[in-house]
Amino acid sequence: MRNWILPENISDVLPREARQIEAMRRSMLDLFGRYGYELVMPPLVEYVESLFLHDDPALNLKTFKLVDELTGRQMGLRADITPQVARIDAHILNRQGVARLCYAGSVVNTRPDGILSTREPRQIGAELYGCADVAADVEVIELMFESLALAGLADVHLDIGHIGLFHALADAAGLGGEARNSVFIALQQKDVPTLKAACAGLPTEIAAGLAALPTLYGHGEVLARARASLPALPEVLHALDTLAQLEAALAVRGIKVRFDLAEVKSSDYHTGLVFAAYADGFANAVARGGRYDRVGEKFGRSRPATGFSLDLREMSRLPFPDTAPAILAPRGDDPALIAAIRALRAAGETVVVDLGVDAGEAGCDRRLVAGVSGWQVVPAHAV
Amino acid sequence: MITIALSKGRIFEETLPLLAAAGVVPTEDPEASRKLIIGTNHDDVRLIIVRATDVPTYVQYGAADLGVAGRDVLIEHGGAGLYQPLDLEIAKCQLMVAVRNGFDYAGAVQQGARLRIATKYTEQAREHFAGKGVHVDLIKLYGSMELAPLVGLADAIVDLVSTGGTLKANDLVAVEHIRDISSRLIVNQAALKLKGARIQPMIDAFAGAIAQ
Repeated sequence: MRNWILPENISDVLPREARQIEAMRRSMLDLFGRYGYELVMPPLVEYVESLFLHDDPALNLKTFKLVDELTGRQMGLRADITPQVARIDAHILNRQGVARLCYAGSVVNTRPDGILSTREPRQIGAELYGCADVAADVEVIELMFESLALAGLADVHLDIGHIGLFHALADAAGLGGEARNSVFIALQQKDVPTLKAACAGLPTEIAAGLAALPTLYGHGEVLARARASLPALPEVLHALDTLAQLEAALAVRGIKVRFDLAEVKSSDYHTGLVFAAYADGFANAVARGGRYDRVGEKFGRSRPATGFSLDLREMSRLPFPDTAPAILAPRGDDPALIAAIRALRAAGETVVVDLGVDAGEAGCDRRLVAGVSGWQVVPAHAV
Repeated sequence: MITIALSKGRIFEETLPLLAAAGVVPTEDPEASRKLIIGTNHDDVRLIIVRATDVPTYVQYGAADLGVAGRDVLIEHGGAGLYQPLDLEIAKCQLMVAVRNGFDYAGAVQQGARLRIATKYTEQAREHFAGKGVHVDLIKLYGSMELAPLVGLADAIVDLVSTGGTLKANDLVAVEHIRDISSRLIVNQAALKLKGARIQPMIDAFAGAIAQ
């Protein structure tokens, strides 16, 4: 048996990638800290009921399950950390005002998102609870942009949608169950022919509105077109106002927005504004987020919520140096040598003691050598 | 660079007029040349020639920005991660259930017997028979489905029928219509967002050509 083979879509993280992931994780958590987000570390396993915010069929399917031998209850390995953080906000912290929380950790999925995706993403993200104002979304999006810049992605394209539009139209038409789901899927795929067929029996104004959603795609003028082509339901107008406010607030911060009003692809728990960041060279969104306001209802306390997350393993496809700078030092018990090595390490340098490796293999770009005035650092290839 | 994935044969031929409407003309004929990447009159547009069933995969993973794929192929693939904004109304045919001439299909279904179905389209066959409440054993084949009922491998087949010539030649009859099939334009989601300025006019040109 080839017992060193790992399961499909599961892999080791080797030194170069591990260094990159860890560097990004640290710098992003530091960044979140500077915005006032507190780090939390939810458990890897918990009872399945608390791993989902609502009836989340897609998330449920992605969750590995096992039986807790202490209680006989079913436990799940987390497939998404956001619901866990929402549980912490709702029940453990029980703060009245705004709570800002962030996290980083592995999640596991029963099935990969795509044939090339890992089943063990390293999710990192930030969540903001207790503020229903668009200012909270602006903060989260700004934080997402800064995080992507830290990973080396400067040219990021932001797409914004609002799931409230679909729900307002579907509610007005009395769409439920299977029919609602098929319209939802058609919208997700901008599948206009199927969408039109699915809307055939609905009131004309609503059917026209649903069919218009996939065409409402592009820059600022989209909102004007949306006001003209969508029925003037209060929820629709409210969603469009929110989008306009968000665009204005982000413009001040130098972030350009593109609207995609058929963008409903998100986690099951999202309820309003949704956003996704795209970048050249990535076939899928590099970071996603949005509003999930009714969250916490299940945990006994409904709170407004918004946040974003990304997968650090995806980010590790970005360029990163193969080796870190290091100094190769000879082995020996000379007190001056020991002192020199200690001083260099204290100054933040990586010092590798030569135990029979060559400088190239150890990734060392410099050496510590005995010179006329004591130990000194010289380039690796100097004699 | 915009990459368009197409399959050889009927889809390629019927897509040519649509490409022409968008001002794109291939520099070579894939039937004549054995090349898999074909240039066009635009330096930044190229065509890649792949198997019909592989088109959604190439587009989903961004190896191609656009593609043309039959609805049969898209349903089998699942369509996750793809936009499918247009029905191109080309390569039309029907997905049907067919049996050997003389086989009592209606009777077999009524008796609640387990039917053996040979097909390339297992997802759609499963969904169709589940909808009817009929239990089936699916046998996945990759071609020449018509043979299966003749040699006793299956009771019925689920296959695409365009003229019905192959069924007739093999003494089979179509007994049930599952759905009409035509080809869709599919678009990689990130490509539409990042290269929208180049791709959207093409989609609009295709839509204009279909409307005529």
